[in-house]
Parts: sequence; C-alpha cells; structure tokens
Amino acid sequence: MNENLFASFVTPTMMGLPIVILIIMLPPMLLTSSKRLISNRFHSFQQWLIKLIIKQMMLIHSPKGRTWSLMLVSLIMFIGSTNLLGLLPHTFTPTTQLSTNLCMAIPLWAGAVILGFRHKLKASLAHFLPQGTPISLIPMLIIIETISLFIQPMALAVRLTANITAGHLLIHLIGGATLVLTSISPPTATITFIILALLTILEFAVALIQAYVFTLLVSLYLHDNT
Amino acid sequence: MLSRVVLSAAAAAAPCVKNAAVLGPGVLQATRVFHTGQPRLAPVPPLPEYGGKVRLGLIPEEFFQFLYPKTGVTGPYVLGTGLSLYFLSKEIYVITPETFSTITVVGLIVYVIKKYGASIGEFLDKLNEQKIAQLEEVKQATIKQIQDAIDMEKAQQALAQKRHYLFDVQRNNIALALEVTYRERLHRAYKEVKNRLDYHISVQNMMRRKEQEHMIDWVEKHVVQSISAQQEKETIAKCISDLKLLAKKAQAQPVM
Repeated sequence: MNENLFASFVTPTMMGLPIVILIIMLPPMLLTSSKRLISNRFHSFQQWLIKLIIKQMMLIHSPKGRTWSLMLVSLIMFIGSTNLLGLLPHTFTPTTQLSTNLCMAIPLWAGAVILGFRHKLKASLAHFLPQGTPISLIPMLIIIETISLFIQPMALAVRLTANITAGHLLIHLIGGATLVLTSISPPTATITFIILALLTILEFAVALIQAYVFTLLVSLYLHDNT
Repeated sequence: MLSRVVLSAAAAAAPCVKNAAVLGPGVLQATRVFHTGQPRLAPVPPLPEYGGKVRLGLIPEEFFQFLYPKTGVTGPYVLGTGLSLYFLSKEIYVITPETFSTITVVGLIVYVIKKYGASIGEFLDKLNEQKIAQLEEVKQATIKQIQDAIDMEKAQQALAQKRHYLFDVQRNNIALALEVTYRERLHRAYKEVKNRLDYHISVQNMMRRKEQEHMIDWVEKHVVQSISAQQEKETIAKCISDLKLLAKKAQAQPVM
C-alpha cells in the first residue's frame, strides 16, 4: 500500500480542474436512448429493465404520486450504474461522497414532505402520532416522531455513503492482506483471495440493493405524502 | 397578410384560383426557409447486425490483421506479454491491493459473461421478436379487415346488378292490382245498369197489370149495370124451366 487507505475516495481533480463533474456525468451517458422502435440488445435490455422497475415501484402510488416516476426511475438507474461502475478498478464512485448523497436525499425528501403538507395537511400532521398511544405519552411521542422525520434525509444519505464506502474499504483491505500474505504464506493468501471473491459478489449485490433501497424509501415517503 | 388578402380576393373573383388560395399561407411561410442542409439522418441508416470482431473481448481484430504481415500470428500476443512484463518490472504498473480486487472483479465479469451471455442474448432477442410479432399481428389484422371490407363492397356492387328482378316483381304486382280494380269497377257498373233496367221493367209490368184489372173491373161493372131487374127475372124463370126440362130428360134417360 503505497498510498493512504482513503486515497481512492479523494475527489478527483486533474491539474486543479474538478473532473469529478465529468465522472458523475459518465454513468448516465452509458444509458442509451434510441430513435428506433426496435433497437439492439443493449437498448432492449435497458427498456425491459426500466419497464420492470416501473411496474414494481409505481404500482402502489396514486396518479399524483406517479408523476414522480421519471424522477424515481432516473434515481435508481443513476445510483445503480454509479455503484456498479465503482467496483471496477481504479474508478471513483461519486456515491461514496456524503456530499453527493446529501444532494440527492435532501431535495427528494423535502419535496415529498412539502407536497404532503401542501395537499394533505391534516394527514401529514397526523403521521406524527401513531394510533392507539396512551394519552400520557403523547407529547414525548410527537417530539420523537418529529426527530424521526427530520432524520430521514440524513439516514438516506448516510446509509448509502456508509454502505458503499465500507464495501470499497473492505475490498481494499482484504486485497492488501492478500498482497502481503502472498510473500508470507501462499495458502493463506489463497483463502484470503477466495474471501475477496465472495466479498466482490456481495459488493455487486450491495451496489444494486442500495440503489433499490434508496429509491424505495423515497417512494415510500412519497406514498405517505400523496 | 396583404398577400393573403390579395389571394382571397382573387379566389372570390375566379374559382379556378381558389385552389391556389389554399396554398396562400404556405406561400407566405415559404419566404422563411428551414432545413436547407442535406438530410443526413433521414432516413435513419440501418443498424449493423453484429458488432465488430474482437479478440480477448477488448482488442479489435483489425489490430491483429495490421500486425500479421510483419510478425505473423503470434506477434500481437508477444507484444502484449512483453508490454505487461515491462510495466510490471519497471513498476510503471504497481501491484497494489487494487490489483487483487481488479483480478477478482474482472474474473467475475468474464465468468458471468461466458456462462450466461448466450442465454441473456437469446432472451433479449425474444423480447425484440415479441415486439415485432405484435406489430406484425396488428398489420395483418388491419390488412384482413380491409380485405373483408373490399369483399363486402364487391358483393354489394354485384347485388346492385340484380335489382331488376325486384323491379319486375313489383311491376307485376302493380299490374295485377290494376286489373283487379278494373274488373271490380266493371262489375259494379254492370250491376248498377241492370238495377236501373229492372226498375223500368217492373214499372211497365205493374202498369199493364193495373190496366188489365181496371179494364176487367170496368167491363164487369158495366155488365152488371146493364142487367135490369126485369131481365133478371126473365133469365131466372128461363133457367128454372130449362132445369125442369133437364130434370125430366135425366129421369127419362136411365129408363132407356
């Protein structure tokens, strides 16, 4: 390890220019749009995937909530593609930065909450008090519910950041362990290598799952407030 | 705007110019010209069916063909090996923990593609084929619908040729009805006339009878009048003497 463990998480700049903007713009550029009715396999796969996502995610919403379909599908595609591309060697993953995730989480959560307060004021306020609470607990419960409401965007952002960062760090560490162990005892190195392989499979899954969870939670907040 | 007014006035004046007036607004817009460049993307050029050929998933076939004349078949491979060994030995490429993660990730991706690539490709091809089949079905259904409409139209046209049967039947019906009415009226006229004539005959008969009766009555009356009382007595006495004679003759007869 010739560099700091966290070297891969530094915001990339090249000669002082923030190329991180280009890096964030890359994954969406890989998602094609076609002028044809029937395109190649890649585009068909994309269409099929988006259809699956929409059917799965937007069924529970009312028509008002379904106006958010474009937003939510773009969200899940962006997070998913970014996370998956981050597993390749020597890449920078924007979702490891808390700033990116906060920028995604706070506006979406705030949008959902403000929508709820504008259109269904009573119902939105009613969410602060679950049904059937004993009367003596009401003040405390309202405070707790308020705190839990305001923690939602933080939780969204931090969850995504922590998961992806942790995954990358683990891969880095176990890779480092394998590297050091090859010169000490190759069999242990082989075991560590197998652990690394399993971990990579897990990271692929986590990449997709985190995207799904993020989008699902935003959609849940939307459902509550539509 | 003015040209439009002129054109509409001209259309009102001469009907043949009315067709030109339809193009009036278009003529107005023709002064603004769009899309004067060559059509590059229309019609959309067809997609190639297969991608370019690659070896090792990354290096195009053209590179191998490029090196073939000078270095033969093994040339590019030797070049690759030499380059990678050079990078490793000079530590231009450093072996870091990332190397192992690279090996893992790339190995995983290659394994998945080799194992599931073909089946995923088939699945996607099937998706495309389903789309095409759906559209084809719509097309065929439309064609069939239009064909059915054409056939029905032809049948209707053929039917129109056979209308004269209908007209003949109707004509016959009307002729029969007319005939019946005529005969009925004829019969009625005959009956009326006969009625009148019968009346005259019965009047005549009655007159004759009346006359006869009247004559008989008159004769009787005068005869009775003409018989006076004395004549009546003489006649009766004569009848009595005749009767006596006859009685005597009658008595005398059976004795014989």
